Amino acid sequence: MTTFVIRRLLWTIPVLLLVILFTFLMMRQIKGNPFRKTDRAVPAAIQANLDRKFHLDEPWYVQYADYVKGVFSLDLGPSLVLRNQSVNDIVKSHFPVSLELGAYAFLFAIVAGVPLGMLAALRANKLSDYLAMLVANVGFAVPSFLVATLLIYYFAVKWNVGLPTSGWRSWDSKILPSIALGFFPMAYFARLVRGTMLETLQQDYVRTAKAKGLRRRRVVGLHVLRNSLIPVATAAGPLLGAVITGSFIIETIFAIPGIGRYYVSSVSARDYSVTMGLTILYAVIVIVGNLVVDILYGFLDPRTREART
Amino acid sequence: MLAANQTLTMAWGAEPPSLDPGLATDTTSSNVLLNIMDPLVKLDPKTLKPVPSLAQSWDVNGATVTFHLRHDGRWTNGDPVTANDFVYSWLRTLSPELGADYAYQFYGMTGAQAYNSCDPKKADCNTLKNKVGISAPDQYTLKVELTSPQPWFIQQVAHTSFLAVNHKAVERWGERWTEPGHIVTNGPFKLAVWKHDAEIDLAKWNGWRDAKDVTLKRVNGRIITDGTTAVQSFAAGEIDVNTTGIPPADLPRLKTEDTYQNYPALGTYFYGLNVKNIPLQERRAMALAIDRKSIIDNIAQADQVPATSFSAKGIPGFGEIKNDYLQPTADMGKAKALLAKTPNAKKHINLFVNDAPGHKEIAIAVQAAWKKLGIDVTIKQMEFAQFLEFLGPPPNKAVDAYRLGWIGDYVDDINFLETWTCQSGNNNSNYCNPRYDALVEKARSTKDNAERFKIYAQAEDMLTGPNGDFPVIPIYWYTYVTQEAPSVKDSFNINLLNQFDLSTVKVVDK
Repeated sequence: MTTFVIRRLLWTIPVLLLVILFTFLMMRQIKGNPFRKTDRAVPAAIQANLDRKFHLDEPWYVQYADYVKGVFSLDLGPSLVLRNQSVNDIVKSHFPVSLELGAYAFLFAIVAGVPLGMLAALRANKLSDYLAMLVANVGFAVPSFLVATLLIYYFAVKWNVGLPTSGWRSWDSKILPSIALGFFPMAYFARLVRGTMLETLQQDYVRTAKAKGLRRRRVVGLHVLRNSLIPVATAAGPLLGAVITGSFIIETIFAIPGIGRYYVSSVSARDYSVTMGLTILYAVIVIVGNLVVDILYGFLDPRTREART
Repeated sequence: MLAANQTLTMAWGAEPPSLDPGLATDTTSSNVLLNIMDPLVKLDPKTLKPVPSLAQSWDVNGATVTFHLRHDGRWTNGDPVTANDFVYSWLRTLSPELGADYAYQFYGMTGAQAYNSCDPKKADCNTLKNKVGISAPDQYTLKVELTSPQPWFIQQVAHTSFLAVNHKAVERWGERWTEPGHIVTNGPFKLAVWKHDAEIDLAKWNGWRDAKDVTLKRVNGRIITDGTTAVQSFAAGEIDVNTTGIPPADLPRLKTEDTYQNYPALGTYFYGLNVKNIPLQERRAMALAIDRKSIIDNIAQADQVPATSFSAKGIPGFGEIKNDYLQPTADMGKAKALLAKTPNAKKHINLFVNDAPGHKEIAIAVQAAWKKLGIDVTIKQMEFAQFLEFLGPPPNKAVDAYRLGWIGDYVDDINFLETWTCQSGNNNSNYCNPRYDALVEKARSTKDNAERFKIYAQAEDMLTGPNGDFPVIPIYWYTYVTQEAPSVKDSFNINLLNQFDLSTVKVVDK
């Protein structure tokens, strides 16, 4: 197990180098000028000053080498657009917000999605199954900006429930965005759990357990649920990675100071260093997330343990 | 009656990229800075004439301008505000090392452009720095040498680029000097809170020289970039003022409400034409064929004003500068007649617009109008940064027509008209007329306002008049749209340059 983890961690280094190289080359391929933010042109002398200041006047391989050096000393460089902040500052001040929002959204998805799927599976083809799947299919199909806008309109404006429309301050401002962001994963989990549980319920060992006279609660709780959760765990890794790295749409609509917005805005602004820094951050999260899932497998399904060591 | 709680809650439109006067370029930073710093001059909200602020008076002697500073200006750290602060700040903005986007605002001063263009890797820039025409003969006198008498200079100084920074704070904290806790300011308000992307709060500073005249105690500003969210926050009563804007879809509904406010802007939304690709008479015909009023009423919807000249309405001297060749509505008869006389007219045109909301809809209306002239238009929509790269100057050969906007930096028409000179970095039309350039040069050295406005009128005529060259087709003049609660509606106002002065805002009970 330890060798497995160490080997996987060592592999992240070449992976990261490739991620940096590809992002670096792609960012420069799309053209555009990070210092021209509006319709107004940048005078030549000022462009030269800016290029010099941010070392964009150096050949690309020098820039790349400097950047890689920076990354391995944990310095992601200055932002070209937010002139008084470094990429480290941006990550430090905005990533925790996205992490918190993502954690709540994920919690909502699990707490609401798994029971919903179980209910549907245990009452398959009955009214409660249809209702549960209606919710799940709506959540699956409706885009998050619509969910968010509807939530704001009804809960913050029309019904006067007292929830704020936007922001990320008091606990009550965190409810609507967490639900809006967690809605899709919730629906996804519900459908996944229903499907795998229906399959598990038909397995021989379940029939055996029932035949041995085990109580239904124990059969479902111990044998069915545990085995149905393996696909959920597989899906959970990338989904968790996706929700904690922030959402451009949800953060913009709810005016939340998260990191998700920067994935989009830094590309449109050609803020090279921010785009690179966030890509690296995302890559690290995906790598770590997959590693954690692989370790979790071992607990959920002992068969996978020998296969990899 | 004044409300007991003098707190204003509002939505800022966007996170400011910087609150350093030398680096600020956007609307939010400009409005935060103009309220936490003390400008030398302010613009009268109605006449836009410069009025004394930190400078109690100024003398203009040919190309030499001398500002006399008040003696009671203070920084929040207790230091007096002196002329040397301005010398330090302006030279800092001009230094090639800072990389200030708006350093060109200072290019009218002697030696400024040379210093800003210096490459410290290749030359010793200090000699050039010492030649820049900014000096402080004594503690409260600031002397500026201009390259020519620039009658608009005093007004230009109202721009955020000309605010002073506190050298102690800058030197102590480096690039992080603008964070709350580090920043040292000298205006009616202090920066109380700056949570990036979330909040900028200002608090009244009682140490300001005229603090007794400031009613507002605090401004709680939330950063809301999305128009729909801002509208909903306003509807829920969370904010008193929405400066983020209103999405077009909500405009017809909200326009009828009392909270809707609309301010004229000093800016022109226009279509540029590549004069190498499209012959003169065709350009005139294309300009005449556009129904500006219909575009505003049906598409843009924010009560913009049909633009009949490139110079924006509201600019000093506009009454003389405007011409009436172009009209708010189309003149198809004249347009078709002109085109009939153009045998080499280009019948297939590529119109380039960027992909921000609204531009394509306007392009479709223009496409329909030009179709009536027998011109087929292909609309090419591009991502903004690539679009700008495509426009040059010089523009890519495929560009026949393009949309852009021009927002004035200061209130003099030179700022608009110099766009179309041969060397202008903002002239993407390939238009180069030495007679036009000569007029602009002549205007630069004409001190008398009435005389200068006459020259501006000739230049504008050369662009959009009856015998105009039409490198540009003006479409509309921008407006700024806000929502304002009745409690602040009377005292909260935005000027032509999208600036608001919070020191005059009063919250009343309504």
